[in-house]
Amino acid sequence: MGGMLGIVAAAILGVVMMFVGLISQKSSVIRIAGVACFLILVGVTAFDFSAIHEQGTQLYFNNMLSVGIKASWFNVLISACAFIYILIFNNHITKVGKNDAEYFALMLFIMVGVFMLSTYNHLLILFIGIEILSIPQYILAGSDKENIKSNEASLKYFLMGAFSTGILLMGITLIYGSVGSFEIGNIATAFQGEVTALPMIGVILLIIAFGFKVSAAPMHWWTADVYDGTPTAITPFMATIVKVAAFIGFINLFHGAFGNIHYSWKLTIAILICVTLFIGNITAVFQQSVKRMLAYSSIAQAGFMLFAVFALNDTAEKSIIYYGVSYTLASIGVFAVLIKLKDYTYEGFNGLGKSHPLYAITATVCLLSLAGIPVTSGFFAKYFVLTAAMEQGLWLGIIVFAVLMAAISIYYYFRVIRAMYFTSSTEEITIESNPMEQILLVINAVLVVLLGLFPQFILG
Amino acid sequence: MSLDLIIFIVLSALTLASAIGVVITRNPITSVLLLILTFFCISGHYLLMNAQFLAIVNIIVYAGAIMVLFLFVIMLMNLNKDTEPQKSTMVQFAGVISGGCLLLVILMAFQSSGIELTQTSTTVSNIGLIKVLGKKLFTDFVFPFEISSVLFLSAMIGTVVLGKKDDDIATAIQDS
Repeated sequence: MGGMLGIVAAAILGVVMMFVGLISQKSSVIRIAGVACFLILVGVTAFDFSAIHEQGTQLYFNNMLSVGIKASWFNVLISACAFIYILIFNNHITKVGKNDAEYFALMLFIMVGVFMLSTYNHLLILFIGIEILSIPQYILAGSDKENIKSNEASLKYFLMGAFSTGILLMGITLIYGSVGSFEIGNIATAFQGEVTALPMIGVILLIIAFGFKVSAAPMHWWTADVYDGTPTAITPFMATIVKVAAFIGFINLFHGAFGNIHYSWKLTIAILICVTLFIGNITAVFQQSVKRMLAYSSIAQAGFMLFAVFALNDTAEKSIIYYGVSYTLASIGVFAVLIKLKDYTYEGFNGLGKSHPLYAITATVCLLSLAGIPVTSGFFAKYFVLTAAMEQGLWLGIIVFAVLMAAISIYYYFRVIRAMYFTSSTEEITIESNPMEQILLVINAVLVVLLGLFPQFILG
Repeated sequence: MSLDLIIFIVLSALTLASAIGVVITRNPITSVLLLILTFFCISGHYLLMNAQFLAIVNIIVYAGAIMVLFLFVIMLMNLNKDTEPQKSTMVQFAGVISGGCLLLVILMAFQSSGIELTQTSTTVSNIGLIKVLGKKLFTDFVFPFEISSVLFLSAMIGTVVLGKKDDDIATAIQDS
């Protein structure tokens, strides 16, 4: 027993959360319940992991789910990240709108989708998993109902997302049409050596659909508007946990099912990487709002994570988990400071280093990690994905290009740091700070550094 | 030429014609009515493939419920005139070219893949029956079937969360 308890627990806890909203209208009660739910989720996934650790890979429901050691370790880490997110942001989430309990419930349902994407072994489960991941997001994006930008974000995300779902289904259909099975293992055995054009179109369509979900260019157009329009308390969840889960789904499919025909899609992915890195980084340079800059930087980070899809080896599968966790923690740290400010432009950060040194320090550590400065985990994350690509061999050009783009990214991350420390502000920034939150931010920043010092903790 | 093939060709021609009509007609009402015709034709295809239950459900859900919803929206928003905004010729041209490319690629793929289009055997014909389908759903496909409930639940929450009128918002709108 054990292995898929995470899915069950997340679904049940989501329903429990709705009942909490029914029983109590107080936001403090709902917040505590939300934090407790995510804590339970971490416990359950850890229990799953220990069970899998003893028994080895488990298959459920006629091979529809295959819970391996990597997948369940990923589940533990991603629920821990979600727990940290909820701890830091819970009071901001309840300020977004009137339906506090439902927001937490929707996030728990998203976790169901996350666990399904990490453990699926059947294209039908992949499809339902992606839908469970997406639909609550459309709602969360529009949760600030009075704000026209939030409405725009929700509608835009919904329409574009529905379109990409259509493309995903078309791809799955073509794959099924040529193999006659939905199972990852059967597809892998069917695709060996030369394949005909029909499944190839399916593979391309799947790349497009996944590229949309992980916001890889040129399918990135929705990202900036959606991340910008979504309430700031929700954006980090969408930009980190959901995106990392989509990447895990991406890798499971392309390494598991299409690994034998790597030659046929690696060029497409390589082009996708270059375009994503270029557009993400260059556009981020010209942004005036830090929130929009972070949206474009998340596109750029997706470009790096695509390296893990590109490189078909064991290092890649480990490094994506490491990259995901490192990127998630760092983004949460930056957003946690951003949400405190009234002005989201770079000027809004002016003088933060003097007035609120603690917030400035934690934000700086996280920004350094996003930029990939050594000692922080961001450096090793980039190092590991690029190593994975190196092991694949002969594609030095794009690795040099990626390093060049990482250098450009330093410009816009350091612009925030410069605003905080080297520019004085004319008006005093007032931030209502509570000690609990400060402690959490410090813990988050320390984790970012510690993961950099001891990457073995995640990779091992 | 067997009867099946004749029916198939007629149905396919009708489906394609009405589907193209949905896109090119400028009047929304005509568009919706043609869409209903398309769904009926697709149901016909399902019947040809021995999927009786699917055919019925397709008519009830799509042609029945969803199309009525479409017509309601058109009626309530008074969209019965040709209100489609003019798009620039450049965009239209680009759309035609890229769509045409996709069509060409998929056609060539089907041609080169060498899949034989075989007739669905009518001997094992009970696969589309509701009894067999129900058994499949509750044995082999019980997990996707059950987990879909999470999907629908979150969609329902969404309808309530986004659609419900918050008291504060209502007063704020009245004040402004």
